[in-house]
Amino acid sequence: MPKKILFIEDDEGFFNIFSVPLKMKGYDVVHVSDGALGVEKAISEKPDLILLDIVLPGTSGLDILKELRERPESKDAKIVMLTNFGSDENINKAMEYGANDYLMKYNIVPSELPDKIAILMGEASGAGIKVTQ
Amino acid sequence: MNVQIILNILVIVESLLLLVISITLFRKTSDFKKLKKYEEALIMFQANQNDVIPMLVHELRAPLSVVKGASDLLLKSTDEMNADQVRDLLAQIKSSSEGLLKMVGDILDVSKMEGGKFQISKVFGSLGGLLKEECAYFESLARVKEVSLSCATGENIPEFSFDPERVKQVMSNLLSNAIKFTPKGGSVEVIARHVDRIVEVVVEDTGIGVPEKDQPKLFHKFFQAGNQGGVTQKGTGLGLVITKGIVEAHGGKIWYEDNKPKGAKFIFALPLK
Ligand SMILES: Nc1ncnc2c1ncn2[C@@H]1O[C@H](COP(=O)(O)OP(=O)(O)OP(=O)(O)O)[C@@H](O)[C@H]1O
Ligand SMILES: [Mg+2]
Repeated sequence: MPKKILFIEDDEGFFNIFSVPLKMKGYDVVHVSDGALGVEKAISEKPDLILLDIVLPGTSGLDILKELRERPESKDAKIVMLTNFGSDENINKAMEYGANDYLMKYNIVPSELPDKIAILMGEASGAGIKVTQ
Repeated sequence: MNVQIILNILVIVESLLLLVISITLFRKTSDFKKLKKYEEALIMFQANQNDVIPMLVHELRAPLSVVKGASDLLLKSTDEMNADQVRDLLAQIKSSSEGLLKMVGDILDVSKMEGGKFQISKVFGSLGGLLKEECAYFESLARVKEVSLSCATGENIPEFSFDPERVKQVMSNLLSNAIKFTPKGGSVEVIARHVDRIVEVVVEDTGIGVPEKDQPKLFHKFFQAGNQGGVTQKGTGLGLVITKGIVEAHGGKIWYEDNKPKGAKFIFALPLK
């Protein structure tokens, strides 16, 4: 069965460019553009990994991260922040709340995203897990 | 796939970004010469200090990153993609570039308005027709957001002279705001009516509305309600400034009212002449 990735992102453009290479690698990509729905799906879909944007309509991805970590069903989920906001404050908060990685949208080349997250999902290769600014 | 074309697009788009950022940084100082009121100066100062540059950079960087990412994918892996994926990425490059152009255009408009150089070109025509077209154009966006959109665009408004492109821009700003700030399940309504020698257009929604303390700042440059320090919201906060400038260039007026029981209501009035 292909691994499932939940992509919480309200910007259609970013969703398009990052989901293409993931789908090409055979991942099953589930898209949600609304924060509240994101939490719901994170629990019902049981994804292998969650890609989480920070600026979402009405909520912040950081709050979603916090909530996911507080819930027993999702406290161990693999969560990667994928955002355009690289302020120290955001990165520190994300790390404090327990994000597994923090990627910057404008830095990461879409075709390299699958490699970056493969290791987190227990798959071979991939770059090390670190804050990529 | 013509690699050269894509690379050219990329270079053009990136130089645009640099241009816009330098214009903005330049304006930051030149604005102060023209400020009339102390209060305005203070608001501008605070806005510029904290939010404006990071906000603008972010707003420009997002579509640029998308253009860059999409063209990079097309360059590297067109062969492994299916036709739909290729078309989607090209369509994405197009729409992101359009968004960038709109933003650059907005910045230019505001700078013209502030320099007293903003001009409209009026032609005689039907406002009702224009409103219908704009409503139809926003239908799909509203549907995606699950917001209902209805338009009562007054069949009996006499033809008069206005700048159709600019009035379209007014409607597009007001409608995009109304849809953007109205959660799923809400509604947006456009009503046009004429009273004596004036035509009034109302764009009302059942969304989050504008808190009373923010209402006086609505038409200020870069203002975004609920955006207290830090960047938490999309858009540049230029839409309403331009909207007001366009309405006033027609000799008209625009104002805000609370929509009862909830939501926002923007009304603009244009003289029928
Ligand atoms: N219909 C509305 N309901 C609630 N708030 C609104 C509405 N229209 C405007 N606002 C408030 O006024 C602010 C300024 O609006 P404006 O259109 O100038 O900027 P923007 O939509 O944030 O960005 P831009 O239009 O430049 O992309 C918005 O950020 C929002 O806080
Ligand atoms: Mg707007």
